[in-house]
Amino acid sequence: MGMVDVKAKILEKNYSKAAVLRDKFKNTCVLNFVSSPGSGKTSILEKVLVMFKDKYKLAVVEGDQQTTNDADRIEATGVTAYQVNTGRACHLEATDVEKAMAELGYDLDLLIIENVGNLVCPSQFDLGEDAKVIVLSTTEGDDKPIKYPVMFRVGSSFIINKTDLLPYVEFDVDKCIGYAKGVNPELEVFQASCKTGEGLEEIAAYIEGMIAKKKNA
Amino acid sequence: MHEASIAASLIEIVIDTAEKNKAEKVTKVFVKIGRLAAIEIDSLEFAYDAIKEEYEIIKDSEIIIEDVPITGKCQKCGVTDTYEEMFFACGACGAFEVELLTGEELTITEIEVD
Ligand SMILES: Nc1nc2c(ncn2[C@@H]2O[C@H](COP(=O)(O)OP(=O)(O)OP(=O)(O)O)[C@@H](O)[C@H]2O)c(=O)[nH]1
Ligand SMILES: [Mg+2]
Ligand SMILES: [Zn+2]
Repeated sequence: MGMVDVKAKILEKNYSKAAVLRDKFKNTCVLNFVSSPGSGKTSILEKVLVMFKDKYKLAVVEGDQQTTNDADRIEATGVTAYQVNTGRACHLEATDVEKAMAELGYDLDLLIIENVGNLVCPSQFDLGEDAKVIVLSTTEGDDKPIKYPVMFRVGSSFIINKTDLLPYVEFDVDKCIGYAKGVNPELEVFQASCKTGEGLEEIAAYIEGMIAKKKNA
Repeated sequence: MHEASIAASLIEIVIDTAEKNKAEKVTKVFVKIGRLAAIEIDSLEFAYDAIKEEYEIIKDSEIIIEDVPITGKCQKCGVTDTYEEMFFACGACGAFEVELLTGEELTITEIEVD
């Protein structure tokens, strides 16, 4: 009988795979979009990426448990997309991105990863990204940032989507932003509507800024 | 629910470590899970116990999970505190600039072997 010291991160393997990816993404800005199911991740990407797609080499990795619907929607806008079906898994892992990149190639200015709709599990799986972009829609309740604080802690930016629905739902934008900043004061916050187009240009500018930042790093 | 994939990663490390140390049986596995690690402790235990049956070397092992509270230090006033909620305003001065000391753990610390 004896004790063996281990002192390892349980997700060590995922971290080391993500580190390898991060190394290969030296010139590629990588954004990991996370949200509950249906907050509007794909809608935002459909509307925003077309604003600058001709200026950059870009691609989208779509993670869903099933179907290629989201990749098909992105492809329809003229942007390359690769669908990963995770089956029962509720999040993408670094190994999924590795497989996608074997198809897409690393010669990209921007890679967007749309994670599986889930505000819990993807928070623990590093994908080699530069930033996690959290999307929350106004139909989900303004207290989500304190209900799912783990994700809000590891996020870099936060988009409140479906602002066109504000007149019809109980959602206090200021309160929501206050909660989010309480969990993570560094969060950069955006408000958007894919219906009216409000705020989408700001998101495009943010992404282009991230691309430039990566290039100059 | 990602506790199953966490348990699978954990078991991989346990078996690997046991084999490297030429152990015949693993009896205990010590794990630290921070409140911020997005893990349901019961589900992790359940997943571990379900998967361990498939491997002779860990079949009779017990997982012992330490539930690590969230503690932090306020960068404005220096007060160290435990946070029940995950809304990190300093209890003393109200500032949001709190540096986390513990709560993000998702680690295996040691194993007991025969
Ligand atoms: N009213 C309104 N509806 C929106 C807006 N953005 C998206 N939607 C609708 O919300 C639904 C879900 O949008 P998606 O873009 O598929 O959401 P998603 O986050 O990609 O969903 P999953 O990938 O399934 O998690 C669709 O019916 C969209 O048309 C918005 O700003 N306003
Ligand atoms: Mg989608
Ligand atoms: Zn303070």
